[in-house]
Amino acid sequence: MRRPWERAKENLSEELEAHLQMAIAERVADGEEPAQARAAALRELGNLPLIEDVTREGWGWIWLENLLHDTRYALRQLRRAPAFTATALLTLAFGIGANLGVFQLLYAVILAELPVPHPEEVVRIHAARSPFDQSWTISYPAYQRLRAATPDVPLMASAYAQNATLDLPNRAPIEAACTLVSDNYFSGLGVAPAAGRLFVQADERMGQGEWPVVLRYDFARNTFGSAQQAVGQHILLNDRAFVVIGVAHRRFLGDRTGYAPDIWLPLALQSTGALAVPWDSLGPGHDVSLDKPWYNQPTIFWLVLMARIPRERRAAVLAHWDQVFRNDREVMTEATADPVVKAALLHAKIEVAPLSENGMRKRFTGPLTLLMALSASIFLVGCLNLANLQLARLHARAHELSVRMALGASSGRLIRQIVLEDALLVLGGSVCAFGLGRAASGILVRWASNRNSLFTFDLHPNLPLAALGVGLMLLSLLCFSILPAIIFIRTGVAQTAGSGSRIAGISQTARQRFRSNLMLGTQVSLSLLLSTMSGCFAATLVHWETVDVGMDREHVLIVRPELHQPRYTDHSEMLPGLYSRIQERLQALPGVRSAAVEMCGGIHCGWITSLYVHGRSDLTDAQVHGQEDHVGLGFFSTLGIPILRGRDFSSSDTDKTQPVAIISRAYARQLFGDADPIGQWVGYVPAPNDHKFMIVGEVADARVNGAEREAPPVVYMSINQNPAPINSIRVRAVGDPRQLSESVRHALYEVDPALPVSEIVPLATELNGDLGTEKLLARLAGIYASLTLLLVAIGFYGVMSSRTAQRMSEFGIRLALGASRGHIEMLIVGQTARIILASILPGVILSIFAVRTASHFLYGSVSANLLVIIAASLVLASAGLVATLIPARRAAYADPLETLRGE
Amino acid sequence: MNQTAKYQNRIELLQGTLDMLVLQALLREPMHGYAIAQVIRDRSGEVLSVETGSLYPALHRLERQKWVKAEWKLTDSKQRAKFYQLTALGKRQLTTDHQRWLQMVRAIGAVMEPEVQP
Repeated sequence: MRRPWERAKENLSEELEAHLQMAIAERVADGEEPAQARAAALRELGNLPLIEDVTREGWGWIWLENLLHDTRYALRQLRRAPAFTATALLTLAFGIGANLGVFQLLYAVILAELPVPHPEEVVRIHAARSPFDQSWTISYPAYQRLRAATPDVPLMASAYAQNATLDLPNRAPIEAACTLVSDNYFSGLGVAPAAGRLFVQADERMGQGEWPVVLRYDFARNTFGSAQQAVGQHILLNDRAFVVIGVAHRRFLGDRTGYAPDIWLPLALQSTGALAVPWDSLGPGHDVSLDKPWYNQPTIFWLVLMARIPRERRAAVLAHWDQVFRNDREVMTEATADPVVKAALLHAKIEVAPLSENGMRKRFTGPLTLLMALSASIFLVGCLNLANLQLARLHARAHELSVRMALGASSGRLIRQIVLEDALLVLGGSVCAFGLGRAASGILVRWASNRNSLFTFDLHPNLPLAALGVGLMLLSLLCFSILPAIIFIRTGVAQTAGSGSRIAGISQTARQRFRSNLMLGTQVSLSLLLSTMSGCFAATLVHWETVDVGMDREHVLIVRPELHQPRYTDHSEMLPGLYSRIQERLQALPGVRSAAVEMCGGIHCGWITSLYVHGRSDLTDAQVHGQEDHVGLGFFSTLGIPILRGRDFSSSDTDKTQPVAIISRAYARQLFGDADPIGQWVGYVPAPNDHKFMIVGEVADARVNGAEREAPPVVYMSINQNPAPINSIRVRAVGDPRQLSESVRHALYEVDPALPVSEIVPLATELNGDLGTEKLLARLAGIYASLTLLLVAIGFYGVMSSRTAQRMSEFGIRLALGASRGHIEMLIVGQTARIILASILPGVILSIFAVRTASHFLYGSVSANLLVIIAASLVLASAGLVATLIPARRAAYADPLETLRGE
Repeated sequence: MNQTAKYQNRIELLQGTLDMLVLQALLREPMHGYAIAQVIRDRSGEVLSVETGSLYPALHRLERQKWVKAEWKLTDSKQRAKFYQLTALGKRQLTTDHQRWLQMVRAIGAVMEPEVQP
């Protein structure tokens, strides 16, 4: 199909042609000779193309035509230089894409506000820290009192439950993240439904046959196809009937950054025991009945509070709440015998904290800011690289450009053509970058996540992201195209205008050489920075992945059975028998050294407890508090935790005999100093009930909370003396534990066919599960470092190639005069070497400064990381030199004859 | 109307003369470019000869302003040519232009022959 402007152009030509024909015809009619008539008519008509041009200019789209011409020309130029085009496209795609990807994450984690009206009014209410976990949770009766005290202030409560299993007809069961929320949760926040309705007061009714639930938008869409289709669905959650009454607004992902519940349920659901909810309490012996509903128990702390209070009313509301809460504070002091802690508890006041103040933000602000800075430097390296390549490329085109200028092309038009060429590159690169950025932020989230919980962020494109993208586009265009083009047209062309031979022989001026050396040097310095950071992060990750955790991390398998079913919980007296059958069967497997059961399922599981020593009333809370775990026989030998003093649990320890305990070295030091703990009496509560357990053993410390966390003080009790469902079975293998998975699963099936196994995972994987930040930093910095290394190599190759090409005849003459090929090679390589040497010093200073700033995320001191800096310098230098060898080789094999012929 | 606007009007009056002549030529019947040039030359007693280089830009300008519309037709001598026809908008424009032109002639006349003024 012909374009409209071409048709218009042809029409105009035809119109003028008709005019000419008519003029000729009239002259012929008047009796002139046809040939003469034609000549006269043409004379009369004037300059035809000029008339066409003037007429077309009146149409007002001549600029568009020029632009199209220039675009076509630019595309042709780009096609003619595929290596440059590819380098530029990839550099821009990665340079801009990396920034977009990291920024999107940074925005979602740090900058984004809750997507509700007036998010600044919504605050967390910190009433009191719970006695053991030190979490900001309160009891249900306390919540009701506070809420009733200020009916006009929306006070919302929530509790994060453990994942539940969602059963759908004809589908595999889905693990869903659940949160219990008060009836005013959505209305108080101001969240609108995407479909159906959200919770109202009636949903808090006790004893409903089919409980109402609200779904997260994306979860509803992935599970039921759309938000509308989800509403009214009847679902089975942990084998209980629920009905979907609504879907929350698509941008609302809950109130805690990174943790997005799939399903919101009413608080009253707790009374049914359908979901496991984390809790804290006053401890044993304080009238705590976990099996009964919690709504009337003031000693179970499980609710997190949030309120919408305008800033000016805050002081008054908090003061009022403090009075109402006074009684609850007094109840909480019963959890401790430490007078200092008691006094502090009573004097504490209710505080507000911004919603943004959460673990996620605290944990990721540093790493993400750091990554943003690294991303900015890779963008800078990319721009410098492209600017340098661009200048080299323009030099190669100097002849063509100067001829065109001599023929009358305006320098404005030339700059416009060059810039247009690059604008096309930037545009293409940016399109790739946006795609890359989107994909990258998804991958980054996965890297940053803990093993057991994938973070969910709102990664929808937003205005700041688009602004950043466009800003980077313009900046890159300015850096690598407009400035070099202007510099070049102003200086380069004027000097090269002349005969062909002079152009071929002309070399860059000292200033031009210095400029491009400076740019190369800056690239080297920045690359050194990136390589160093990457090396340091990698070393840190390796350190945590290999640090001595006090356990045999390479040979142990964690098996997670599901014992939280009435079959087991209602017959706890049968459990020790089951555990011993499991242990026997597993230990009979070939390749298994030993096996043991444990109440803890993995890291972050040991619960906080307190141990009071019989006959000691001077212990503070800091001495008393530790972590508790219940384990089966052979636990310590299975995990490879050495017994330092006393004995292990034995089969003679049963629920009929004296309860015994084994404490870790750290706990022993905390309670007894260097004294022998064996034979000491301890209890959960202060005197007179402080002698329930006798300590029979002391074991070495182990990093049970994860490789990167210090070994906590732990007290181990025998699971046979307190029969309860276990959460894990540990199996120690002779070789690679992963290979045992199937036989273990099979053996467990033989012991109890009805026992489901939810997961089998090596201990090493479990212990590294929280290394998300470290993994994110190490992997991303690694990618950046390799990219810059590549860019530096390309930069040296491009610049040195262009320089040797310009000096080819010089080399020819040198060779003709007797220089050796080695000598010529050294000339070129020497240039690179000088640039690298000169730029390594600033690079090292920059790196030391960066390592110091980032020391919080790094293991080891600056001096320990100096080795990494040296290694990075060496790698960088060799990359630059190798890239230079190719043009150097080419120069060394210049043909003297050809040069002489050319002269 | 302020001073500047008045001044601009005067300039336009001078510049718009060719447009006015073309529009006037088209008043009676649609014509192609060559005929328009002929008509203007003939009616002015061969005094005004319209340059082709000015005529066609003017015609295309008038077309863009929707004062004339164009159509490809055959002439009497079977030559395909683009015929221009005055539109209603064009007619109104011609009236305005004509008024202004008269105003201009009177004004110039008054300047050149002050004693004729009453």
